[in-house]
Amino acid sequence: MAAGVPREKHVRFPYKQAGLTEARAAAHLIGRFTFGATPGQVDEVCKEGLERWFTRQLDAREPDDSLDAMLSGYDALNLSNDSTLHVFLRRDQLVRMAKKEGVIPSDSAALSDPNAYKDILESYRKEKGVKLPQELYRQFYNQKVLRAAFSNNQLLEVMTDFWFNHFNVSVTKGDCAIYIPAYERDVVRPNALGKFSDLLLATAKSPAMLYYLDNFNSRGGGINENYAREVMELHTLGVDGGYTQSDVTQAARVLTGWTVYPIGPGREDNPQARKLDAMSPEQLSTRGFYRRGDFFFNPGRHDKDEKTVLGKTFGPDATNTPMEGYQEGVDLLEMLAHHPSTAHFICRKLAVRFVSDDPPASLINKMAKTFLDKDGDIRQVLLTMVSAPEFWSPGAVREKIKSPFELAISSVRSLHASVDQPQQLYNWVSRMGEKLYSYQAPTGFPDKGQYWINTGSLLNRMNFGLAMASGRIPGIHFDLIALNDHHEPESAQAALVTYSRLLMPERQTDETVKRLTPMLNDPALGDKVATASGEDKPGQSNAGMLPQVVGIILGSPEFQRR
Amino acid sequence: MVSRRGFLKGGGLALFGVGLIGGIPGFIAEAAAREKITRLYKKKKILVCIFQRGAMDGLMAVSPFTDTYFQAARPSLFMQHDALTDLDGRFGLHPALAPFLPVFQDKRLAIVHGIGSPNNTRSHFDAQDYMESGTPFDKGTPSGWLNRAVGLLGHDGLTPFSAVSLTSAMPRCLYGDNPALAIGNLQDFAIQMRGNPAATNLAAKSFEDLYDQTAAGLLKSTGQESFEAMKMLQKTDTRNYKPSGNAVYPNSALGNSLKQIAQLIKMDVGLEIAFTECSGWDTHFGQGTTQGVFARSATDLASAIMAFWTDLDAFQDDVTVMTMTEFGRTVHQNGTGGTDHGRASCNFILGNDVEGGMVHGDVKPLAQENLEDGRDLQVTTDFRSVFSNVADAHLSIAGDSVLFPGWTGDKAKVMQIFS
Repeated sequence: MAAGVPREKHVRFPYKQAGLTEARAAAHLIGRFTFGATPGQVDEVCKEGLERWFTRQLDAREPDDSLDAMLSGYDALNLSNDSTLHVFLRRDQLVRMAKKEGVIPSDSAALSDPNAYKDILESYRKEKGVKLPQELYRQFYNQKVLRAAFSNNQLLEVMTDFWFNHFNVSVTKGDCAIYIPAYERDVVRPNALGKFSDLLLATAKSPAMLYYLDNFNSRGGGINENYAREVMELHTLGVDGGYTQSDVTQAARVLTGWTVYPIGPGREDNPQARKLDAMSPEQLSTRGFYRRGDFFFNPGRHDKDEKTVLGKTFGPDATNTPMEGYQEGVDLLEMLAHHPSTAHFICRKLAVRFVSDDPPASLINKMAKTFLDKDGDIRQVLLTMVSAPEFWSPGAVREKIKSPFELAISSVRSLHASVDQPQQLYNWVSRMGEKLYSYQAPTGFPDKGQYWINTGSLLNRMNFGLAMASGRIPGIHFDLIALNDHHEPESAQAALVTYSRLLMPERQTDETVKRLTPMLNDPALGDKVATASGEDKPGQSNAGMLPQVVGIILGSPEFQRR
Repeated sequence: MVSRRGFLKGGGLALFGVGLIGGIPGFIAEAAAREKITRLYKKKKILVCIFQRGAMDGLMAVSPFTDTYFQAARPSLFMQHDALTDLDGRFGLHPALAPFLPVFQDKRLAIVHGIGSPNNTRSHFDAQDYMESGTPFDKGTPSGWLNRAVGLLGHDGLTPFSAVSLTSAMPRCLYGDNPALAIGNLQDFAIQMRGNPAATNLAAKSFEDLYDQTAAGLLKSTGQESFEAMKMLQKTDTRNYKPSGNAVYPNSALGNSLKQIAQLIKMDVGLEIAFTECSGWDTHFGQGTTQGVFARSATDLASAIMAFWTDLDAFQDDVTVMTMTEFGRTVHQNGTGGTDHGRASCNFILGNDVEGGMVHGDVKPLAQENLEDGRDLQVTTDFRSVFSNVADAHLSIAGDSVLFPGWTGDKAKVMQIFS
């Protein structure tokens, strides 16, 4: 990984030219490439130097001991796909297994008592030591929250989130869901800061994608075009990238035979799997099979005739040349990965994520040039972006609206909170309109403020701020007074001034303070709030007012921006 | 020149009847002001879509009871003539759907049988995805057909409530760039600090001020709308809502959703497209006949829709309700007293401008040679031909190439032709 990391001495960020102080530039940089600034982080980054901090984040090799400790109990997340399939069985799979073993009679009459049926099934499940997939997803969702909140390799997590959404798969699709934890772990994160072509190829070969877009089932004479279409429209060229319906069909033919090796329970009863398992690697390869991990190329399902995609010819396959069929698909994906339309499409999407909802063409052109010159090296593209004046321009700073997940995690980070029940944050993020891993369409969540901000979601964001600050989200703990070096603010107004600066470093908060001060200074109101909050010190209501003030800050328009 | 007051009074947004005088939310006034003059005297129509997730067995809902092939295919699930309500000598309505009978006889309820997708996938996910995106062969369509319908309503005056889904997450059919709101419960539409009204008021006031003065345009305008909508909903006592006509909604997710849709309609907040869903239709095991899993789901569906219809009362003319389900189920019953994933199903369309009182569509005798892939009821009506017919006739939406890109078929004729 380290080989591709640029050295910071060759890097200069042009923020001074854009009229930004170092501190304000640091706040902008942190806001874009982390899930939110932690207390004191702006000063730390200034001290280290913005360029050095950023290249260290690109390197993504920061020790993460405390995060690792938090994740140590998440045993399901280390399993291979095969083990996952053995350990986590859906109810219908369990029923099938139970029937096969005669634990449940297979005629319908015996199913009349639903409770007895349930009991039999439950004790059978325990006896077999299998678990429900919900447990896998619980661990998976929780780790997403914990990594975002606590990883020291923030940029790696931000990019993992970005690429997952770009190469979206969805737990709402039953066949694909169980492979998604391994997809993020083995396919997305390891390639998130590498070369785009490696990432593309890894997604193409992953069970999650093969099932999500149905290529696993595509064969010569019976093609399924879903993956071939989306790999061009959404993953590489973009909808206006210059391909035709014929290119889609022909690409689907090139990719026939790309499927998943038979894994999981039930393999013993699958004659094809038994035959394959018995073959040595040499035997597999002389017959033209290709297996890497769970990916499997089956030449018997591959369309061996000539195909033409974007003017390039694939096949016809020469006889007795093992793996030629597989290599066609690799060549196709390499061609797509290095296409100029892809460079522009990917760079625009990166700029939308990191710069503004409508990034300038001048910036995208610079990034696309780097993309093409540097073999799709994602680190180099990011560096070009941050080294460009456009990144630091007034049109970029504070212009992005946080997604619900970014809002929730940035609240945790800014309050220096601990998280014992990550699922509580997952639930809030869902309520605010971002049900993680559940976006149904292969487009992924739209990355623009207009998608996230509507009348319903905005009220939920405010309610989130209030619930968070008042400690009403179970399992989230923090100490507001400690954040301010254990000084209790003297008044609600003082709290507003102090905590606005602490939670929104380098933002202009004067207007917020001016606007809210008259209201907060109404002593009668403060008492009422404190009394109703259960504080028993009317007249000294600061303690009661503090969570209220912080809640208003977290729900304020300024905190929604990054 | 129409005066503002006269404009509001005569326009599509009648603001009387819910005690809003003196407190008209800005977004409604603006929506009215932005209305095209041509629509001045045209009342807003509302399309309510209900997705029956899991694939309803259309052959059990509306049963071809004279079909001997069907009887043979379903030894324990076939329902005899006397268990059903005969609709037309050929089809019988499942007893759990009996609440539909009066509106069917009254020609307000239409049934389309043999409806489905041209894409023969039998995956719930894929089939729902295609039905909601409206593009049965294209996964990557970013928007849903109902969201595109919002863009085709033919007027600018949209409110935050123009398109509402009574679901916690935005459904695929409402994905897209046009405004749409997903909300599980209208009561959640508030600033909430449990048991602390003083703090709640302070917080609400503070937020309203902050969002009002922010320079960020999107946050400012949405913030204003949020608070106006919140106040409006608070004015109406959503918690202690009393349905009209002694309507009794089932205490189910669907019942609660439809009840809230009725409230939104009566509040006159600009609702034109509403969506909700129900589940329990994936009847692989122990489907039952007059009792059982299917009957329970069917009872919920029919009683919720009919409670909604009764509750609508004077608003019935404005509303069309349409159900949809991703596919039907196998003609033959399976080994566990249920049915597996099939192809065509049926759907229900209720409204005063519906060509009702009949079973539309083409259902051939269920002999082996007439079945799709030798096992399933053939899809003889493309869902798009029905959806576009309903959208066109009820919402005055023209633009099938936008609503259903790539589709060039003929519209169904489930709606009355009148102007």
